[in-house]
Amino acid sequence: MLIPHPLLGPRDAQEFTYLGDAALLNRPEGGDEAAFHAYTHLRDNPAGPHRELWYHEQGDRSWLVVTRDTATHEIVAAELAMDVKGAAR
Amino acid sequence: MADPTLAATPRLIPLCALGGEIPRQTSFGALTLIERPDVALASLAPRGGMATPAPFGLTLPQPGRCASAGDMTALWSGPGQWMIAADGQADTDFAAAVQAQAPGASVTDQTDGWVWIDIASAARGAPLDRLLEKLVNLPPAALQPGRAARTGLHHLGVFVMRQGADRLAVLGMRSAAGSLWHALTQAAQRLETRP
Repeated sequence: MLIPHPLLGPRDAQEFTYLGDAALLNRPEGGDEAAFHAYTHLRDNPAGPHRELWYHEQGDRSWLVVTRDTATHEIVAAELAMDVKGAAR
Repeated sequence: MADPTLAATPRLIPLCALGGEIPRQTSFGALTLIERPDVALASLAPRGGMATPAPFGLTLPQPGRCASAGDMTALWSGPGQWMIAADGQADTDFAAAVQAQAPGASVTDQTDGWVWIDIASAARGAPLDRLLEKLVNLPPAALQPGRAARTGLHHLGVFVMRQGADRLAVLGMRSAAGSLWHALTQAAQRLETRP
């Protein structure tokens, strides 16, 4: 599987480690226990496009948000997580 | 009578990453591999809001690239981060020299964390292209002259830097210097018998 790194072009998926749902970028602020429980434990499990975090460990050490189709493994998009996070601010 | 305290003092000998008192060097066909203990390394990361510095007159390269000026080399190591290398300055406080060139930036000495291996070709670029095909899973364009990549090589995280068509450098973890040397020399040796 190749991941289209936004800065470096296609890279072998073996250079990356997988973390999980990109919703982890949106850590809830404040003391809302129910929101933090959902953030920590509850995940969607879609059969289709899924936004997820990948770490380019054997590479430039950047975090990517990769949009992958869980049914076909097609990779639709890859963005730098810092850009995604920056745009959300 | 000899001073007993002197006799008990061990003679400390600086060793290269590969364990020798002198750097290791070997050749297979057109390829020559040389361990380079003399190269000083420091990482440089400008802080947020800082203008990009130009240490020692180097223009810090774009992603996936390296740039040299005289004895100095800069290579892109990640977003907002570069590795600066200086030939022949491993015995100096190179991080302090880089810091002086980039006040306010985050600078960390990296010299003793890495083993630097130069690979030179006596038959222009083709043998190096063949060697890279065997060793790294990257498109050839990613390692043309002026390009640099951090990637996996025999499950080791390395920097591969192509300074010219006929030469490249591989930087690996110093603690895995022997494994890296083995991987590189074995691939070069196989190319010699089956180019």
